[in-house]
Parts: sequence; C-alpha cells; structure tokens
Amino acid sequence: MSEQTSWLATRLPVAATLRAQVMGILLPRDMPYAATFAALVTGAVIFLILSGAVLSVYYNPWHGFDSIQFIIRDVNYGWLIHGFHETGTTMLFGAMYLLLFRAILHREYKAPGELVWFLKLAVLLLLLLTGFLGFTLADGAQSYWSLQNAALAVSQMGGLPGGLGNWFFGGPAGPSTLARLVVLHTAIALIVVLVLAIHLAAKRAIARIPGRPVALHPYYTSQYFVAFVVFCLIFAVLVFFAPHLGESRLNLVPADSLVVPAAITPPWYLLPETGIANTAASAMGHLINFLAAFAVLFALPWLDLSKPGTPPKFLSRVLSYILALDLIGLAITQTAATSILTGILSVLFTAWYFLHFLVLLPLATATETN
Amino acid sequence: MRLFLAALAVLLLAAPAARAEDTLNPPHWQSEGVFGSYDKAALQRGFLVYQTVCAACHSMNELHYRDLTDLGLSTAQAAAIASTVKLSTGPATLDDIFKAPAVNASAFGGALPPDMSTLVAARPGGTRYVYNLLTSYQNAPADVTLLPSHYYNTAYPGLQIAMPPPLKDNAVTYADGTKATTAQEAADAAAFLTWAANPDLDDSKEIGLRAVLFLVFLTIIAIATKRKIWRESL
Amino acid sequence: MAELAKVEHEIELAVDHARRDFLKILTVATAGVGIAAVAWPFIDALNPGAETLAVSQPIVEVGGIAPNTGLRVVWLGQPIYIRKLTDQQIADNQFIVPDTLPDPADFTSRVKPGYETFVVVVGLNTGIPCELLGNDPSDPRGPYDGWSCPCDGSIYDPLGRVRSGPAAKNLAIPKFTFLNDSQIQFG
Repeated sequence: MSEQTSWLATRLPVAATLRAQVMGILLPRDMPYAATFAALVTGAVIFLILSGAVLSVYYNPWHGFDSIQFIIRDVNYGWLIHGFHETGTTMLFGAMYLLLFRAILHREYKAPGELVWFLKLAVLLLLLLTGFLGFTLADGAQSYWSLQNAALAVSQMGGLPGGLGNWFFGGPAGPSTLARLVVLHTAIALIVVLVLAIHLAAKRAIARIPGRPVALHPYYTSQYFVAFVVFCLIFAVLVFFAPHLGESRLNLVPADSLVVPAAITPPWYLLPETGIANTAASAMGHLINFLAAFAVLFALPWLDLSKPGTPPKFLSRVLSYILALDLIGLAITQTAATSILTGILSVLFTAWYFLHFLVLLPLATATETN
Repeated sequence: MRLFLAALAVLLLAAPAARAEDTLNPPHWQSEGVFGSYDKAALQRGFLVYQTVCAACHSMNELHYRDLTDLGLSTAQAAAIASTVKLSTGPATLDDIFKAPAVNASAFGGALPPDMSTLVAARPGGTRYVYNLLTSYQNAPADVTLLPSHYYNTAYPGLQIAMPPPLKDNAVTYADGTKATTAQEAADAAAFLTWAANPDLDDSKEIGLRAVLFLVFLTIIAIATKRKIWRESL
Repeated sequence: MAELAKVEHEIELAVDHARRDFLKILTVATAGVGIAAVAWPFIDALNPGAETLAVSQPIVEVGGIAPNTGLRVVWLGQPIYIRKLTDQQIADNQFIVPDTLPDPADFTSRVKPGYETFVVVVGLNTGIPCELLGNDPSDPRGPYDGWSCPCDGSIYDPLGRVRSGPAAKNLAIPKFTFLNDSQIQFG
C-alpha cells in the first residue's frame, strides 16, 4: 500500500494536498451551524446539476410538457428525479436567501468582505436566471405565458437591454425557444459552480487565523455533516410528502397559446423581485426597478456607514429583520389576487425597501463605532 | 356500445374486489392524508365511470392502457380492456395512449373539454373540487340568466359551466356490488382522476416514510458523533 | 488521590475514544447506505423504462388472422411471420418423427402450449438469408404448404421446419408470449 501511495504521491499528491489545503484549514472554535449555508447552497447546486443531467436525457424541448409527463410516468424513478429537481430548487433558494440574510445581519459585507458580498449577489442573480429558465422549461400554462411576456417585452425594448435580451431569447418566444433555453439553463448553472468556487477562494483569502484554532477535519467536517443531514431531512419531507409545494397549480395545465391564465406568477423565489419590478408601469420601468433593487445591494458596503469591524447594534439588527419581513410581504402581495389593497401594499413595501437602504440604514449606522 | 360496456364491467368483475367502504359520509378518499394510499377498488370503479361517461368527450393523453395495472389489474386484464377499445388502427393494445375522443371544435360553444391527465393537480381543491363539481349541478336561481348551452353549478368558478351534468344514478353498474348513486360515481371518478394525475403517490409516501425515519436516525447519530469529537478537544 | 483521579480520567478518555470510534464508524456507514440509496434512482432512471420496453417489446394483434394465412410484422429489424394453421396442416405435421427431418424438431417445440394453431417464426431463410414466400395462400409454398425461399429453393413446412433445400436449420423462433387468445407480446 505504501508503495502504491508513493507512486501516486510523486505524480499527483492528492492525499497530501487534501490534508494540507482542506482537512487542515484552521478555523475558530465557535462557528455556528448557520455558517454552513454556503456549503449547503453548493451541495444543492451540485445535486440539481446531477438530477438535471438525468432529466436532460429524456427532456424534449419541442414537446416540453409531454416529455416531462413521460419522465414522471414512464422513466424508472422519473417522478423522484423530477421531484428532486423541483424541490431541490426550493431548498436551494431557501438556503441562498438565508445565506444572504445572515451576511446582512452580521455585516459581512464591510471591508475587506466587499468582494465576497458581490460574489454572493452574483450567485443570486445567476441562480434567479437559471431558476426562471428552468421554470419556462416546465412548459405549463404559467411557464409559457411568463416566457411569452418576458421575451416579447425584451424584444420591444430599445438600446442595449433590448439587444442583449433579443440575443438571449432569440426574439419573441416561438416553438424553438425552449431548445435554446435548455442549453442556456445548463450553461448558467455550471457557471454558478464556478462563481461559488471563486466565492470560497475570496472568503479564505480574507479569513484571519483565529486565536485558538481547530482543524477543519474532524471538527468542522462533523459539524457540516450534521447540517447536511438536517438539510436532507427537510428535503426528504418536502420531496415525498409535499412535492408540489411552491409550484403554481396552473403550471400543471399544458401550455396553450389560445388560453391566457388570469394571473401569471413566477416561481416563489422570484416573487420579491417581481414585486419590486411590478410597481413600475412599462417593461423598461420593470427592468430599471429590478436593477435599482440590486444596485442598492451592491452599494451596501458603502451605504452602511459604520466603521469596519463594528458588530451591528440593536437598531441595525431590527432594521435587518424588518427588511426580511418587508420582502416576505412583497412576495405575498404578488401571490394574492390582484386588488387595490395589494397594489398599495406592494408600492409601500417597495418604498420601504429603498428607504431602508438609502435613508434608514445610513442614519442608523452612522453613529456606530466599536 | 352496450356490449362493450358489459364486457368492460365483466372484466372488472374478474379483478380482485374489495369491500366497498362508505366513502360518502362525509366524502373522503383513502389517498388523502400523510399516510393514505390509493383504494384500488375505488380506482377501478372510477375507471369504469371514466370509460363509460367521461371518455366520450375528455381525453387522457398522458395515460397508456398498460398503466391500468396500477389499479390492481393483471397485465392480461389490462390487455383485454384495451382490446375492447376501437382505435382507427384497430383494437387498442397495452402500449396505446387512452383513446382521444373526436370532439367537434365548435362544440360546447368553444369551451373544449380539457384533457384530464393532470386535471386534479391543476385545479385548486383537487380531488374535492372534482367531487363537488360533479355533485353541485342545480337549477339556476330566479335572478340568474343562464348563458346559452350553459348549466348552473355552485362549485364552478363563475357558477355557469358548459359541461352538461354527466352523472346520474346507475349510469354504470359496479362489479363489486356498490350502489351506483351519483355521489358514489362522483367520488370514484374523483379518485380515479387523482390517481391519473399522481400515479406515484403510493410509492412516494412509502419510500418517504422510510427515508424520513432513516434520516432522523442519521441526524441523531451525526449529532452524537459531532459532540463526541468536540468534547475530545476541549 | 490525584493519581486516581488522573487514571480515572484516562480511562474515561479511552472509553470515550472507543465509543466515538464505534459511533464514527456507524455514522459513516449509515451515511454510505444513504448515499447509495439516493444514487440508485439516478442510475435506474437511465435503464429502459416502460415506454422503451414497449417499443422493444411490442404487442401484436393476432386474433384477426384468417386460417392458412400469415401476418408479417417487423421486430428489431427482422420480418416475423405469424401463421394460423388449419386443422389439416396440424394433422399432417403433428406426428412426423423428428429424426426423419433434416433438422429434427417435434411439434411441441415449434408452438406454444395452449395456442397450437399459431406458428411464429422469423421469416428469413436459414441458408441464404432471403425473405421467404408463403404467407398468402396463393404464394409459392412448396409441397408441404409452408414457406419457400425464392433465392435458393429451400422448402419449409407450416411449422417452419426445413424439409429440403440448401438450408439446414429450421426457421428461428423469436422470443414472445401470448397475452391472451388474440394478442402476443414480443421480447
């Protein structure tokens, strides 16, 4: 055995590298379970890529709905692979939003963590795009009309957004659109893995060696393992007992170009963003609102006026929780039946969102020092 | 046609029959609930209702005749049922999709009968909605003017539905002796459509129970391992 | 006293160590079982499913075949002949002593029990592989009322057994089962 390992070790030192670079990483003693969210996101993305690979063996973009029914009914365990992919998406975005919220709550975006924060946002944007494309591939009534609206709006926009959008969708949606969206869906998902790897590298680059460190293995491997198992437990309960959670019922009606649903709603993880976007009137307005919402997030390291290294005080923490509730409220206004009340509420929630970042946060944090 | 239906009823008679449980007071289905599984006898009765009444107008484009073995029928019985269906290419075989009825595009005022393969999953309320729809036809109240060729149904959004009331007492004869009241037929049809939309429900719950118990066990020993490892260092 | 306490602590650590190792092995093993259980559906999903097996195991209607005629279907690229025998043909061929045939085979090996009026064979000559003639009563069938090969003149009887000609082996019988009186499934 020792002969074998030294043959490999002199040519590709896998074990030695693993020991030094991974298992030997020094970490503080008091990292909570919540620090595992990034690893859970990565694990979920990889699981979605694996289940997506099996689905893509059978998916037919020219008969999307029928091919998915074929997978569910006629492929061995096809229903389970499909459930893995759908429920996996819900778990992924749950973990992603929790990751972002924790970063906001603990002020991880302050120097020198700005790049790590940008990378998190980049991952969110790419995941939202991947998720939307996957949603259109389901080829149900909601998928079809969401795609029609998006591609049409984009093709009518002028300038750079219109040009880019036209390039992406290939013009207004037609019979061949899903075929290209399958490729884009897969490509962007793989890019997400790359960005997550860069995110990990950036995180390690700014990590300080703690006072009394412990090695990753076995202390944090066992902790990450517990987090993964609990994550899998929640996932199992949803996959087997609530497989259609988070899915619009209307998406189980086959796409019909002659019948428009009364309300076209995107999947749940896009609801807060849709809420902010929909307070504008035109398609260009939607895009501007969406970009503005992310612009304030990117600007967060500078909107937060506290000195770097200051733990957040009570007021900042309360504001963060209220922001989370605000976004959840926005999501709910998008699912409820359209009425004057939901219209007013979504405008109020959107206004609070921008108020939080542009006014309240700077004011609350300006006086915070260590 | 009568001969075909009689043959169908006889074929289902040959299938293992379960005692007809009282599913109507109050209406409930064995597949509801966290641990519920499909009542195969109800599914077979529902299939008979579908073949006799619904298949004249509604397609079921995602089901093949071989899927009927899920209802507790043997392959030979399913093949025999398939061979009673006349397609344009001859008698149907196990591998054929359920026969799609030829419905005139202008029938029902343009409100074409929807495909029922995923209907129960696509409608809010699912199984209960279908049951309520089938049993809620009423005479229109005095202050409501019915659109032409529409019927008054209190369970349908908008209250006016283009489908004429499809079920009546004894529209079918059940092989296992269950009384074929309209409510019974509606409950069985709803059960069958639920199965059509979710054929993997039984497998899902069975595997799910084992998976959750396994993961609970794994969580416990994973936490215990982590604590033991950490206690060593401190 | 302090030494006793120290020894007790050592023992506790050692016991703990052993217990942790057992626990660790149990956890890792259980996790392994879990990973295998999750991996199986991914692998099995790529096995042929119901629809593929349907195409590779098609079902053919045979109830409508008139006696003394043969139905030709194609399965896995080969022509399959399904012939309905008449009583006369069964009587003529049922009790022939196998050893007198070029390729000995008795009646029961050529038909399925309970469905003796049907013969299912691959319709290719076992000499030069040409497609045989004889499904229609008006086709040249040869003296035994079976099939004949237009290429090398081999003659077969209604059970597909070779009777004369360059061919030396009986017609191949594909894998099939009778689902009922009127349907057979290949594969």
